[in-house]
Amino acid sequence: MALTITCPVCGKRDGYEFRYGGEDKGPRPDEEGLTPENWCDYVHMNDCVAGIQKEWWYHRDGCGVWFSTHRDTTTNLEISDSEVK
Amino acid sequence: MLNKKNKSLWGERKPLKSSYDAVIVGGGLHGLATAYFLARDHGIKDVAIIEKNYIGFGGAGRNTAIVRANQRTQENVPLYNEALKLWPVLTKELNFNLMFNNCGNLNLMHSEAAMKAARMNVSTAQFLGVESHLLDAKQLKEMEPAINVSEDITYPIHGAMYHPPGGIVRHDAVVWGLAKGAAEYGAEIHQDTEVTAINTEKGRIASVDTTRGKINTSKVLVAAGGYSSAVINRMLGIRLPISALTIQAMVTQPIKPLFDHVISSGAYHVYCNQTLKGEIATGAHMDDWPNYTTQTTAHYIKHQAEALTQFLPCLKGLKFMRIWGGLADMTPDMAPIMDGNDQVEGFFMDCGWGYFGFKSCSSTGKYMAEFMATDEYPDILKPFTMRRFEQHRLMGETAALVNYSADN
Repeated sequence: MALTITCPVCGKRDGYEFRYGGEDKGPRPDEEGLTPENWCDYVHMNDCVAGIQKEWWYHRDGCGVWFSTHRDTTTNLEISDSEVK
Repeated sequence: MLNKKNKSLWGERKPLKSSYDAVIVGGGLHGLATAYFLARDHGIKDVAIIEKNYIGFGGAGRNTAIVRANQRTQENVPLYNEALKLWPVLTKELNFNLMFNNCGNLNLMHSEAAMKAARMNVSTAQFLGVESHLLDAKQLKEMEPAINVSEDITYPIHGAMYHPPGGIVRHDAVVWGLAKGAAEYGAEIHQDTEVTAINTEKGRIASVDTTRGKINTSKVLVAAGGYSSAVINRMLGIRLPISALTIQAMVTQPIKPLFDHVISSGAYHVYCNQTLKGEIATGAHMDDWPNYTTQTTAHYIKHQAEALTQFLPCLKGLKFMRIWGGLADMTPDMAPIMDGNDQVEGFFMDCGWGYFGFKSCSSTGKYMAEFMATDEYPDILKPFTMRRFEQHRLMGETAALVNYSADN
Protein backbone atom coordinates (compact mmCIF):
# COMPACT_ATOMS: atom_id res chain seq x y z
CA MET A 1 0.00 0.00 0.00
CA ALA A 2 1.42 3.30 -1.02
CA LEU A 3 -0.53 5.43 1.39
CA THR A 4 -3.08 5.31 4.16
CA ILE A 5 -4.95 8.37 5.37
CA THR A 6 -6.84 8.73 8.62
CA CYS A 7 -10.27 10.22 8.05
CA PRO A 8 -11.61 11.99 11.15
CA VAL A 9 -14.95 10.21 10.63
CA CYS A 10 -14.07 6.79 9.17
CA GLY A 11 -10.58 6.22 10.60
CA LYS A 12 -7.52 4.86 8.81
CA ARG A 13 -8.35 3.96 5.21
CA ASP A 14 -6.69 3.15 1.87
CA GLY A 15 -5.25 6.36 0.37
CA TYR A 16 -6.94 5.67 -2.97
CA GLU A 17 -10.32 6.38 -1.34
CA PHE A 18 -9.27 9.99 -0.96
CA ARG A 19 -8.59 12.94 -3.17
CA TYR A 20 -5.61 15.15 -2.36
CA GLY A 21 -6.76 18.75 -1.93
CA GLY A 22 -3.53 20.72 -2.00
CA GLU A 23 -1.22 22.24 0.59
CA ASP A 24 -2.96 23.85 3.54
CA LYS A 25 -2.27 27.53 2.88
CA GLY A 26 -4.46 28.93 5.63
CA PRO A 27 -7.56 31.06 5.15
CA ARG A 28 -8.48 32.55 1.77
CA PRO A 29 -7.12 36.11 1.56
CA ASP A 30 -9.53 39.03 2.05
CA GLU A 31 -11.04 40.55 -1.09
CA GLU A 32 -10.10 43.93 0.38
CA GLY A 33 -6.75 45.02 -1.05
CA LEU A 34 -6.26 41.78 -2.97
CA THR A 35 -3.55 42.05 -5.64
CA PRO A 36 -2.91 39.65 -8.56
CA GLU A 37 0.36 38.71 -6.83
CA ASN A 38 -1.09 37.61 -3.51
CA TRP A 39 -4.11 35.97 -5.14
CA CYS A 40 -1.71 34.01 -7.38
CA ASP A 41 0.37 33.14 -4.34
CA TYR A 42 -2.70 31.70 -2.60
CA VAL A 43 -4.13 29.90 -5.62
CA HIS A 44 -1.06 28.53 -7.40
CA MET A 45 2.11 28.71 -5.34
CA ASN A 46 3.27 25.74 -3.27
CA ASP A 47 6.01 25.20 -0.70
CA CYS A 48 6.88 21.81 -2.24
CA VAL A 49 8.46 20.73 1.03
CA ALA A 50 10.58 17.59 1.05
CA GLY A 51 9.48 16.64 4.55
CA ILE A 52 6.38 17.20 6.66
CA GLN A 53 3.60 19.34 5.23
CA LYS A 54 0.06 20.20 6.27
CA GLU A 55 -2.40 19.40 3.51
CA TRP A 56 -6.07 19.02 2.61
CA TRP A 57 -7.78 15.70 1.86
CA TYR A 58 -11.30 14.82 0.76
CA HIS A 59 -12.80 11.42 1.57
CA ARG A 60 -14.20 11.05 -1.94
CA ASP A 61 -15.14 7.35 -1.85
CA GLY A 62 -16.24 7.50 1.76
CA CYS A 63 -18.06 9.92 4.00
CA GLY A 64 -17.29 13.02 1.89
CA VAL A 65 -15.61 15.04 4.61
CA TRP A 66 -12.83 17.58 3.93
CA PHE A 67 -10.06 17.72 6.52
CA SER A 68 -6.40 18.61 6.86
CA THR A 69 -3.62 16.38 8.09
CA HIS A 70 0.19 16.16 8.16
CA ARG A 71 2.20 13.86 5.90
CA ASP A 72 5.90 13.39 5.23
CA THR A 73 6.41 13.81 1.47
CA THR A 74 9.65 11.82 1.55
CA THR A 75 8.04 8.69 3.05
CA ASN A 76 4.29 9.07 2.29
CA LEU A 77 3.58 8.42 5.98
CA GLU A 78 0.99 10.37 7.92
CA ILE A 79 2.30 12.28 10.90
CA SER A 80 0.05 12.75 13.91
CA ASP A 81 -0.48 16.34 15.05
CA SER A 82 1.32 15.63 18.33
CA GLU A 83 4.48 14.65 16.46
CA VAL A 84 4.57 17.88 14.44
CA LYS A 85 6.87 20.46 15.93
CA MET B 1 37.39 -4.62 -21.97
CA LEU B 2 38.59 -2.15 -24.56
CA ASN B 3 39.39 0.45 -21.98
CA LYS B 4 40.97 -1.13 -18.96
CA LYS B 5 41.45 2.17 -17.18
CA ASN B 6 37.70 2.71 -17.30
CA LYS B 7 38.19 6.42 -17.90
CA SER B 8 35.06 8.50 -17.61
CA LEU B 9 33.69 10.00 -20.81
CA TRP B 10 33.45 13.38 -19.10
CA GLY B 11 36.98 13.40 -17.68
CA GLU B 12 38.52 12.86 -14.29
CA ARG B 13 37.04 14.27 -11.11
CA LYS B 14 38.66 17.64 -10.50
CA PRO B 15 38.98 19.71 -7.34
CA LEU B 16 36.18 22.24 -7.03
CA LYS B 17 37.39 25.76 -7.87
CA SER B 18 36.45 28.74 -5.74
CA SER B 19 34.75 30.52 -8.64
CA TYR B 20 33.07 29.81 -11.97
CA ASP B 21 31.38 32.02 -14.56
CA ALA B 22 28.21 30.00 -14.06
CA VAL B 23 26.98 27.21 -11.79
CA ILE B 24 24.32 24.74 -12.89
CA VAL B 25 22.45 22.91 -10.14
CA GLY B 26 21.51 19.46 -11.37
CA GLY B 27 23.36 17.06 -13.67
CA GLY B 28 20.35 16.07 -15.67
CA LEU B 29 19.65 16.58 -19.34
CA HIS B 30 18.57 20.20 -19.10
CA GLY B 31 21.65 21.19 -17.08
CA LEU B 32 24.05 19.22 -19.27
CA ALA B 33 22.49 20.57 -22.48
CA THR B 34 22.66 24.14 -21.17
CA ALA B 35 26.35 23.69 -20.29
CA TYR B 36 27.02 22.25 -23.74
CA PHE B 37 25.34 25.13 -25.58
CA LEU B 38 26.86 27.77 -23.26
CA ALA B 39 30.25 26.59 -24.50
CA ARG B 40 29.33 25.78 -28.10
CA ASP B 41 27.35 28.91 -28.94
CA HIS B 42 28.59 31.52 -26.48
CA GLY B 43 32.15 30.56 -25.53
CA ILE B 44 31.23 30.29 -21.84
CA LYS B 45 33.28 27.29 -20.77
CA ASP B 46 34.06 28.05 -17.13
CA VAL B 47 30.95 26.27 -15.90
CA ALA B 48 30.41 23.85 -13.01
CA ILE B 49 27.56 21.36 -13.06
CA ILE B 50 26.84 20.38 -9.46
CA GLU B 51 25.04 17.06 -9.08
CA LYS B 52 24.06 15.60 -5.70
CA ASN B 53 23.98 12.00 -6.93
CA TYR B 54 25.25 11.05 -10.38
CA ILE B 55 24.43 12.47 -13.78
CA GLY B 56 21.17 11.06 -15.08
CA PHE B 57 20.02 10.04 -11.57
CA GLY B 58 16.65 11.75 -11.89
CA GLY B 59 14.17 12.02 -14.72
CA ALA B 60 16.97 11.88 -17.31
CA GLY B 61 17.47 8.18 -16.62
CA ARG B 62 13.92 7.26 -15.63
CA ASN B 63 11.73 8.52 -18.48
CA THR B 64 10.30 6.24 -21.16
CA ALA B 65 12.44 7.90 -23.86
CA ILE B 66 9.56 9.06 -26.05
CA VAL B 67 10.11 12.12 -28.25
CA ARG B 68 7.47 14.00 -30.22
CA ALA B 69 6.37 17.49 -31.22
CA ASN B 70 2.58 17.27 -31.40
CA GLN B 71 1.75 19.33 -28.31
CA ARG B 72 -1.39 21.41 -28.08
CA THR B 73 -0.39 25.08 -28.19
CA GLN B 74 1.46 27.35 -30.57
CA GLU B 75 3.98 28.33 -27.89
CA ASN B 76 4.95 24.76 -27.05
CA VAL B 77 5.11 23.04 -30.44
CA PRO B 78 8.08 25.01 -31.91
CA LEU B 79 10.27 24.28 -28.89
CA TYR B 80 9.63 20.52 -29.07
CA ASN B 81 9.93 20.57 -32.85
CA GLU B 82 13.37 22.10 -32.64
CA ALA B 83 14.33 19.50 -30.03
CA LEU B 84 13.16 16.75 -32.38
CA LYS B 85 15.30 18.11 -35.21
CA LEU B 86 18.34 18.31 -32.94
CA TRP B 87 18.65 14.54 -32.30
CA PRO B 88 20.39 13.69 -35.59
CA VAL B 89 22.44 16.91 -35.38
CA LEU B 90 23.64 16.15 -31.85
CA THR B 91 24.39 12.53 -32.73
CA LYS B 92 26.89 13.82 -35.30
CA GLU B 93 28.21 16.75 -33.30
CA LEU B 94 28.76 14.79 -30.09
CA ASN B 95 30.13 11.86 -32.07
CA PHE B 96 27.95 9.67 -29.89
CA ASN B 97 25.14 7.41 -31.05
CA LEU B 98 21.94 8.67 -29.41
CA MET B 99 20.02 5.82 -31.06
CA PHE B 100 17.16 7.95 -32.37
CA ASN B 101 14.56 5.46 -33.56
CA ASN B 102 12.26 7.56 -35.72
CA CYS B 103 9.35 5.12 -35.48
CA GLY B 104 6.52 7.67 -35.25
CA ASN B 105 3.81 8.09 -32.62
CA LEU B 106 0.18 7.00 -32.53
CA ASN B 107 -2.19 8.62 -30.03
CA LEU B 108 -5.36 6.59 -29.70
CA MET B 109 -8.72 8.38 -29.53
CA HIS B 110 -11.57 6.76 -27.66
CA SER B 111 -14.55 9.04 -28.31
CA GLU B 112 -15.88 11.43 -30.94
CA ALA B 113 -14.97 14.31 -28.60
CA ALA B 114 -11.38 13.05 -28.54
CA MET B 115 -11.42 12.82 -32.34
CA LYS B 116 -12.49 16.48 -32.46
CA ALA B 117 -9.70 17.42 -30.05
CA ALA B 118 -7.28 15.46 -32.22
CA ARG B 119 -8.40 17.44 -35.28
CA MET B 120 -7.48 20.62 -33.40
CA ASN B 121 -4.11 19.17 -32.42
CA VAL B 122 -3.39 18.01 -35.96
CA SER B 123 -4.33 21.45 -37.32
CA THR B 124 -2.01 23.20 -34.86
CA ALA B 125 0.83 20.88 -35.87
CA GLN B 126 0.21 21.33 -39.58
CA PHE B 127 -0.05 25.11 -39.20
CA LEU B 128 3.36 25.09 -37.54
CA GLY B 129 4.90 22.81 -40.16
CA VAL B 130 4.95 19.66 -38.04
CA GLU B 131 3.76 16.47 -39.75
CA SER B 132 0.66 15.07 -38.07
CA HIS B 133 -2.35 13.19 -39.46
CA LEU B 134 -5.67 11.88 -38.29
CA LEU B 135 -6.39 8.19 -38.85
CA ASP B 136 -9.70 6.38 -38.55
CA ALA B 137 -9.89 3.02 -36.78
CA LYS B 138 -9.53 1.07 -40.04
CA GLN B 139 -6.36 2.91 -41.06
CA LEU B 140 -4.99 2.42 -37.56
CA LYS B 141 -5.68 -1.31 -37.70
CA GLU B 142 -3.85 -1.53 -41.04
CA MET B 143 -0.85 0.22 -39.53
CA GLU B 144 -0.79 -1.77 -36.28
CA PRO B 145 -2.71 -5.05 -36.66
CA ALA B 146 -2.16 -5.98 -32.99
CA ILE B 147 -4.46 -3.18 -31.82
CA ASN B 148 -7.98 -4.17 -30.84
CA VAL B 149 -10.38 -1.81 -32.63
CA SER B 150 -13.52 -3.79 -31.76
CA GLU B 151 -16.26 -2.28 -29.61
CA ASP B 152 -15.98 -4.82 -26.82
CA ILE B 153 -13.55 -2.87 -24.63
CA THR B 154 -14.19 -0.21 -21.99
CA TYR B 155 -13.06 2.62 -24.28
CA PRO B 156 -13.46 1.55 -27.92
CA ILE B 157 -10.98 3.13 -30.34
CA HIS B 158 -12.40 5.67 -32.78
CA GLY B 159 -9.15 6.59 -34.49
CA ALA B 160 -5.69 7.95 -33.82
CA MET B 161 -3.41 10.90 -34.26
CA TYR B 162 -0.38 9.83 -36.28
CA HIS B 163 2.85 11.81 -35.87
CA PRO B 164 5.62 10.35 -38.09
CA PRO B 165 8.58 12.57 -36.99
CA GLY B 166 8.57 11.34 -33.36
CA GLY B 167 9.89 8.17 -31.83
CA ILE B 168 12.35 6.94 -29.23
CA VAL B 169 15.81 8.15 -28.21
CA ARG B 170 18.15 6.25 -25.89
CA HIS B 171 17.99 8.53 -22.83
CA ASP B 172 21.22 7.31 -21.18
CA ALA B 173 23.10 7.95 -24.40
CA VAL B 174 21.88 11.55 -24.38
CA VAL B 175 23.13 11.98 -20.80
CA TRP B 176 26.53 10.51 -21.63
CA GLY B 177 26.84 12.27 -24.99
CA LEU B 178 25.99 15.71 -23.63
CA ALA B 179 28.26 15.19 -20.58
CA LYS B 180 31.10 14.22 -22.90
CA GLY B 181 30.39 17.16 -25.21
CA ALA B 182 30.18 19.71 -22.39
CA ALA B 183 33.33 18.35 -20.72
CA GLU B 184 35.29 18.46 -23.97
CA TYR B 185 34.58 22.19 -24.12
CA GLY B 186 35.82 22.57 -20.55
CA ALA B 187 32.69 22.42 -18.38
CA GLU B 188 33.28 20.58 -15.11
CA ILE B 189 30.85 17.93 -13.91
CA HIS B 190 30.96 17.47 -10.14
CA GLN B 191 28.98 14.43 -9.13
CA ASP B 192 28.37 13.38 -5.54
CA THR B 193 28.37 17.08 -4.62
CA GLU B 194 25.37 18.77 -3.08
CA VAL B 195 24.43 22.44 -3.25
CA THR B 196 23.46 23.44 0.29
CA ALA B 197 22.76 27.15 -0.21
CA ILE B 198 22.43 29.78 -2.91
CA ASN B 199 23.60 33.15 -1.59
CA THR B 200 22.53 36.56 -2.81
CA GLU B 201 23.87 40.06 -2.18
CA LYS B 202 21.73 43.12 -2.85
CA GLY B 203 19.33 41.14 -5.00
CA ARG B 204 22.05 39.50 -7.07
CA ILE B 205 23.48 35.99 -7.08
CA ALA B 206 26.79 36.01 -5.19
CA SER B 207 27.80 32.44 -4.43
CA VAL B 208 26.76 28.86 -3.94
CA ASP B 209 27.64 26.69 -0.92
CA THR B 210 28.31 23.03 -1.64
CA THR B 211 29.35 20.03 0.41
CA ARG B 212 32.82 20.50 -1.11
CA GLY B 213 33.17 24.21 -0.53
CA LYS B 214 31.96 27.63 -1.56
CA ILE B 215 31.79 28.77 -5.19
CA ASN B 216 31.66 32.44 -6.10
CA THR B 217 29.57 33.04 -9.19
CA SER B 218 27.23 35.63 -10.63
CA LYS B 219 24.98 33.17 -12.48
CA VAL B 220 23.10 30.14 -11.21
CA LEU B 221 20.73 27.91 -13.13
CA VAL B 222 18.55 25.52 -11.17
CA ALA B 223 17.63 22.64 -13.47
CA ALA B 224 17.12 19.96 -10.85
CA GLY B 225 14.10 18.31 -12.45
CA GLY B 226 11.46 17.20 -9.96
CA TYR B 227 13.55 18.54 -7.08
CA SER B 228 13.73 22.10 -8.49
CA SER B 229 10.72 23.55 -6.70
CA ALA B 230 11.87 22.26 -3.29
CA VAL B 231 15.42 23.51 -3.90
CA ILE B 232 14.34 26.94 -5.14
CA ASN B 233 11.93 27.49 -2.25
CA ARG B 234 14.35 26.25 0.39
CA MET B 235 17.35 28.21 -0.89
CA LEU B 236 15.83 31.38 -2.31
CA GLY B 237 12.39 31.50 -0.71
CA ILE B 238 10.71 31.57 -4.12
CA ARG B 239 7.50 29.54 -4.18
CA LEU B 240 6.55 27.86 -7.45
CA PRO B 241 3.22 26.70 -8.90
CA ILE B 242 4.45 23.13 -8.88
CA SER B 243 3.41 19.78 -7.41
CA ALA B 244 6.09 17.08 -7.53
CA LEU B 245 4.47 13.71 -8.12
CA THR B 246 5.88 10.21 -8.49
CA ILE B 247 5.32 8.68 -11.90
CA GLN B 248 5.88 5.00 -12.59
CA ALA B 249 7.02 3.02 -15.61
CA MET B 250 7.70 -0.63 -16.30
CA VAL B 251 8.97 -3.11 -18.90
CA THR B 252 7.71 -6.56 -19.83
CA GLN B 253 9.77 -9.58 -20.78
CA PRO B 254 11.00 -9.38 -24.40
CA ILE B 255 8.79 -10.75 -27.18
CA LYS B 256 9.08 -10.97 -30.97
CA PRO B 257 8.43 -7.76 -32.94
CA LEU B 258 4.79 -6.85 -32.37
CA PHE B 259 4.37 -3.14 -33.07
CA ASP B 260 6.70 -0.46 -34.33
CA HIS B 261 5.21 2.87 -33.24
CA VAL B 262 4.98 4.57 -29.90
CA ILE B 263 1.34 3.97 -28.95
CA SER B 264 -0.37 6.10 -26.32
CA SER B 265 -3.85 6.42 -24.99
CA GLY B 266 -5.25 9.27 -22.94
CA ALA B 267 -8.34 7.40 -21.82
CA TYR B 268 -6.34 4.44 -20.52
CA HIS B 269 -3.47 6.62 -19.25
CA VAL B 270 -0.95 4.40 -21.01
CA TYR B 271 1.91 4.93 -23.39
CA CYS B 272 4.01 2.09 -24.68
CA ASN B 273 6.63 1.18 -27.23
CA GLN B 274 8.51 -1.97 -28.09
CA THR B 275 12.21 -1.55 -27.44
CA LEU B 276 14.81 -2.79 -29.91
CA LYS B 277 15.36 -5.67 -27.49
CA GLY B 278 11.69 -6.64 -27.72
CA GLU B 279 10.42 -5.54 -24.31
CA ILE B 280 7.26 -3.47 -24.06
CA ALA B 281 8.33 -0.32 -22.20
CA THR B 282 5.24 1.31 -20.80
CA GLY B 283 4.55 4.32 -18.73
CA ALA B 284 1.75 5.14 -16.49
CA HIS B 285 -0.45 7.25 -14.47
CA MET B 286 0.63 8.80 -11.20
CA ASP B 287 -0.70 9.24 -7.73
CA ASP B 288 -1.90 12.81 -7.27
CA TRP B 289 -0.41 13.49 -3.83
CA PRO B 290 2.95 15.27 -4.02
CA ASN B 291 5.84 13.14 -2.80
CA TYR B 292 9.54 12.56 -3.38
CA THR B 293 9.49 8.80 -2.76
CA THR B 294 9.73 7.49 -6.36
CA GLN B 295 7.89 4.55 -4.83
CA THR B 296 6.25 1.94 -7.07
CA THR B 297 2.88 0.38 -6.30
CA ALA B 298 1.05 -2.88 -6.97
CA HIS B 299 -1.99 -0.72 -7.73
CA TYR B 300 -0.42 0.57 -10.94
CA ILE B 301 1.08 -2.72 -12.07
CA LYS B 302 -2.49 -4.01 -12.06
CA HIS B 303 -3.84 -0.87 -13.73
CA GLN B 304 -1.18 -1.07 -16.42
CA ALA B 305 -1.82 -4.75 -17.13
CA GLU B 306 -5.57 -4.15 -17.38
CA ALA B 307 -5.26 -1.11 -19.60
CA LEU B 308 -2.60 -2.50 -21.94
CA THR B 309 -4.42 -5.78 -22.53
CA GLN B 310 -7.62 -3.97 -23.45
CA PHE B 311 -6.22 -2.39 -26.59
CA LEU B 312 -3.39 -4.91 -27.10
CA PRO B 313 -5.12 -8.15 -26.00
CA CYS B 314 -2.28 -10.32 -27.32
CA LEU B 315 -0.14 -9.12 -24.39
CA LYS B 316 -2.25 -11.17 -21.95
CA GLY B 317 -0.06 -13.49 -19.89
CA LEU B 318 3.10 -11.49 -20.48
CA LYS B 319 5.12 -10.70 -17.35
CA PHE B 320 6.47 -7.38 -16.17
CA MET B 321 10.16 -7.66 -15.42
CA ARG B 322 10.97 -4.32 -13.86
CA ILE B 323 9.13 -1.31 -12.50
CA TRP B 324 10.56 2.00 -11.38
CA GLY B 325 9.47 5.47 -10.39
CA GLY B 326 10.65 9.00 -11.01
CA LEU B 327 9.46 12.52 -10.30
CA ALA B 328 7.24 14.70 -12.45
CA ASP B 329 6.99 18.35 -11.42
CA MET B 330 3.54 19.34 -12.58
CA THR B 331 2.35 22.91 -13.16
CA PRO B 332 -1.33 23.91 -13.29
CA ASP B 333 -1.17 24.50 -17.06
CA MET B 334 1.00 21.51 -18.01
CA ALA B 335 3.67 23.83 -19.40
CA PRO B 336 7.16 24.45 -18.02
CA ILE B 337 8.64 27.50 -16.30
CA MET B 338 11.77 28.92 -17.91
CA ASP B 339 12.63 32.23 -16.38
CA GLY B 340 15.55 34.27 -15.16
CA ASN B 341 16.90 37.63 -13.96
CA ASP B 342 13.52 38.41 -12.43
CA GLN B 343 13.20 37.60 -8.73
CA VAL B 344 16.98 37.64 -8.30
CA GLU B 345 19.51 39.06 -10.77
CA GLY B 346 21.61 36.20 -12.13
CA PHE B 347 19.19 33.47 -11.04
CA PHE B 348 17.73 31.27 -13.77
CA MET B 349 15.29 28.41 -13.50
CA ASP B 350 14.24 25.67 -15.87
CA CYS B 351 11.61 23.48 -14.23
CA GLY B 352 7.96 22.46 -14.14
CA TRP B 353 8.44 20.10 -17.07
CA GLY B 354 6.16 17.42 -15.65
CA TYR B 355 6.76 14.38 -17.80
CA PHE B 356 7.98 16.34 -20.85
CA GLY B 357 11.52 17.10 -19.72
CA PHE B 358 13.23 14.47 -21.84
CA LYS B 359 11.74 15.36 -25.22
CA SER B 360 12.52 19.06 -24.74
CA CYS B 361 16.03 18.97 -23.27
CA SER B 362 18.11 19.80 -26.33
CA SER B 363 16.29 22.90 -27.56
CA THR B 364 15.70 24.13 -24.01
CA GLY B 365 19.42 23.85 -23.27
CA LYS B 366 20.14 25.91 -26.35
CA TYR B 367 17.78 28.74 -25.41
CA MET B 368 18.54 28.73 -21.67
CA ALA B 369 22.22 29.03 -22.63
CA GLU B 370 21.38 32.01 -24.84
CA PHE B 371 19.40 33.57 -21.99
CA MET B 372 22.22 33.07 -19.47
CA ALA B 373 24.94 34.25 -21.84
CA THR B 374 23.23 37.37 -23.18
CA ASP B 375 20.87 38.24 -20.30
CA GLU B 376 18.20 38.69 -22.96
CA TYR B 377 15.06 36.60 -22.63
CA PRO B 378 14.78 34.68 -25.96
CA ASP B 379 11.38 35.27 -27.60
CA ILE B 380 10.67 31.54 -27.78
CA LEU B 381 11.00 31.28 -23.97
CA LYS B 382 9.02 34.41 -23.03
CA PRO B 383 5.60 32.72 -22.89
CA PHE B 384 7.02 30.39 -20.22
CA THR B 385 7.62 33.13 -17.65
CA MET B 386 6.48 32.45 -14.11
CA ARG B 387 4.63 35.80 -14.24
CA ARG B 388 1.98 34.17 -16.45
CA PHE B 389 0.30 32.76 -13.35
CA GLU B 390 -0.32 36.14 -11.71
CA GLN B 391 -1.29 37.57 -15.09
CA HIS B 392 -3.93 34.85 -15.55
CA ARG B 393 -2.29 33.84 -18.82
CA LEU B 394 -2.06 30.12 -18.18
CA MET B 395 -1.20 28.10 -21.26
CA GLY B 396 -3.69 25.84 -22.96
CA GLU B 397 -1.62 22.68 -22.71
CA THR B 398 -4.21 21.22 -20.34
CA ALA B 399 -6.31 20.83 -23.49
CA ALA B 400 -3.74 18.32 -24.76
CA LEU B 401 -5.00 14.78 -25.07
CA VAL B 402 -3.72 13.65 -21.70
CA ASN B 403 -3.42 16.11 -18.90
CA TYR B 404 -2.67 15.63 -15.31
CA SER B 405 -2.13 18.12 -12.56
CA ALA B 406 -2.60 17.89 -8.82
CA ASP B 407 -4.08 21.37 -8.83
CA ASN B 408 -6.92 20.80 -11.30
